Amino acid sequence: MKSLELNPSQLEHFIMQRYNIFLLLFILWIPPTFADQKTTDIVRAAINHWRDVSSYSVSDMIIHRPNWQRTMTLRVWTLGMKNSLVRVVKPKKDKGNANLIKNDEMWSFSPKTSRVIKIPSSMMSQSWMGSDFSNNDVAKADDLLKHYTHTLKGSETSYGHKVFIIEAIPNEDAPVVWGKEVIKVRADFIVLEHNFYDQDNVLVKKMITRDIKEMGGKLIATVQRMQKFANPQEWTEFVVTEAKFKINVSERTFSLSNLRNPRN
Amino acid sequence: MDIILRLAWRNIWRHPRRSGLTIAAISFAAALLIFMITLQFGSYDMMIDNSLRVLTGHFQIQRTGYLDKPKMRSTIADAPQLAEKLRDINGIVDIAARANGFALVASEERTYGVQVIGVETAHESNLSIIPGRIHSGKFLTSDTAQEVIISKALARNLRVTVGDELTLLGGGRDGSIAAAVLPIIGIFQSGMPDIDRGLIEMPLATFQDIFTMENSAHVLVGMVKNLTGLEMLLQQVRAEITPNPTEESPGQRDLVVLDWNTLVPGLRQMIQADMANGWFMYGCLILVVTFSILNTFLMAVLERTREFGVMLALGTKPLFIGKLVMLESLLLTLLGLGLGLIFGTAITLYFYIYGFSYPGMEEIGAQFGISGAVTPQMSLFAFTLGPAMILLFTMIASLYPALRIRMLKPVDAMKSV
Repeated sequence: MKSLELNPSQLEHFIMQRYNIFLLLFILWIPPTFADQKTTDIVRAAINHWRDVSSYSVSDMIIHRPNWQRTMTLRVWTLGMKNSLVRVVKPKKDKGNANLIKNDEMWSFSPKTSRVIKIPSSMMSQSWMGSDFSNNDVAKADDLLKHYTHTLKGSETSYGHKVFIIEAIPNEDAPVVWGKEVIKVRADFIVLEHNFYDQDNVLVKKMITRDIKEMGGKLIATVQRMQKFANPQEWTEFVVTEAKFKINVSERTFSLSNLRNPRN
Repeated sequence: MDIILRLAWRNIWRHPRRSGLTIAAISFAAALLIFMITLQFGSYDMMIDNSLRVLTGHFQIQRTGYLDKPKMRSTIADAPQLAEKLRDINGIVDIAARANGFALVASEERTYGVQVIGVETAHESNLSIIPGRIHSGKFLTSDTAQEVIISKALARNLRVTVGDELTLLGGGRDGSIAAAVLPIIGIFQSGMPDIDRGLIEMPLATFQDIFTMENSAHVLVGMVKNLTGLEMLLQQVRAEITPNPTEESPGQRDLVVLDWNTLVPGLRQMIQADMANGWFMYGCLILVVTFSILNTFLMAVLERTREFGVMLALGTKPLFIGKLVMLESLLLTLLGLGLGLIFGTAITLYFYIYGFSYPGMEEIGAQFGISGAVTPQMSLFAFTLGPAMILLFTMIASLYPALRIRMLKPVDAMKSV
């Protein structure tokens, strides 16, 4: 009598077939909100609006804790998406500390040691200068473009402006820690809100901008507040006090030797 | 009462060989239990002591909440002075302040994120094994010296050796940027992989200077002479650190005293798991001994059915015979336990002096923080626990033969063989 049992390869085939059917059903079920080029263009325009081809700005960074607050004044130069230089101006104690960001990598210089340290990639999700921004938040300006798929989730109206709500899901192999990001971009490409969700779709932290003013020849959000969702008492605010765009800055500004021996 | 004791004693020695064997079985079990329990407790003491000796200490004083969320700002003001004050408490071997921080350390070639600890150099050797485990170079020399010691695996990863300079970059207590360049004066190897991979130590004052700590620290670490009296001692410490209402002492409120069990909850769990395992084995041993004794007692009673029948016929009360049988078992057990206690104590005492170890134990022990030989615990509890259990179970076992006597009818009993 012939055995009724399936041999292992037959069994596997059988399972695969069933799996494929489920997969097909699953794909057909996905609601038709396909990522489109137009949405990605909005994200790109928003990042370009903020970074421009080059920029120089002076900002106060306020780190707020329930029983304590600290303000630092920073000067920031940027060139394209890949180059940024940050120098601490105030307080006096931290004056001269600087960060160079180039190609998603980060170096730190401290006048106390007069040495340059490269921040290892394992430390990129750590806090930046003790704030609620992470090194990644500061260093990876265009990650949102490179490693994410964007979907337009809807739009709303805020103070007479149209606001796009865009969901960004990281690609399968993206080197990011977030499970999802949701940004709200005004029609004139000013980012109003940036929400970071973890892998379980839980809101971890959010950045809200306000005080949209004309500065350096265009409208920008001059205050950005980053706060952990679980701890509303703790936040970091970036207040831009001076900004210039399309400035004349050379690639040499963003070199390790300039980090060490400032010429600007 | 006197007659019953004499009768019982004589009855035991009516069968010297059988009684001798029973006594031997009881004394062997008792001696074995004493040796094993004292050794087990001894190895737990060692596990606790050795793993706490690495860094944790027997107890710590921290700001409330620091254990769950070690924030740079949760500090104890004037920590060295507070430690100084507490050091006078009788029973405390030593107590000192430590400051904990996180920093990037960089050599010429590489950068790693590590834990940085600031220690009171004069007291640290009483609180941690690290000062004694210097692999090359030497331990921190004074509280204000500008130097660091670094763990061996980290030194290898950073490709540095004694005499090289390390660049530190971290966040200070006030949120400022903490940075320094310090020479490596020593390299240590604690044997704990986690610590060896990412820890550096520096003098407390140096730490306070770099991380803008003023005169504060994050924890006070204490070691005591005797762990068994820890809770009472901690009450005393708690009373001592409670701020005096007449005195102005801001920042000293809000302190908690935590014992090792709260600091390292995994340790007690590991011990409890092992203990459960041990109890199962002891339970089996006691059960086997109990059944063999039950067998002996039952035999002794059954073969004396005729004798009991005669006694009953002569007017002896069944209760008296029951008591007699119970007393015989008790005497037998006590004799056994007495001998067992002598042997057990002798064995335990020997290993207490010379230490217990077997080939290959060092490797197994290393992962539990046991090094070399185990010393049995010499406590009354560890000694009496095994014998007491045996006594309890043999008494329960001898109840059955004793109760059987109540069912005997004099005439029937006299007719039996």
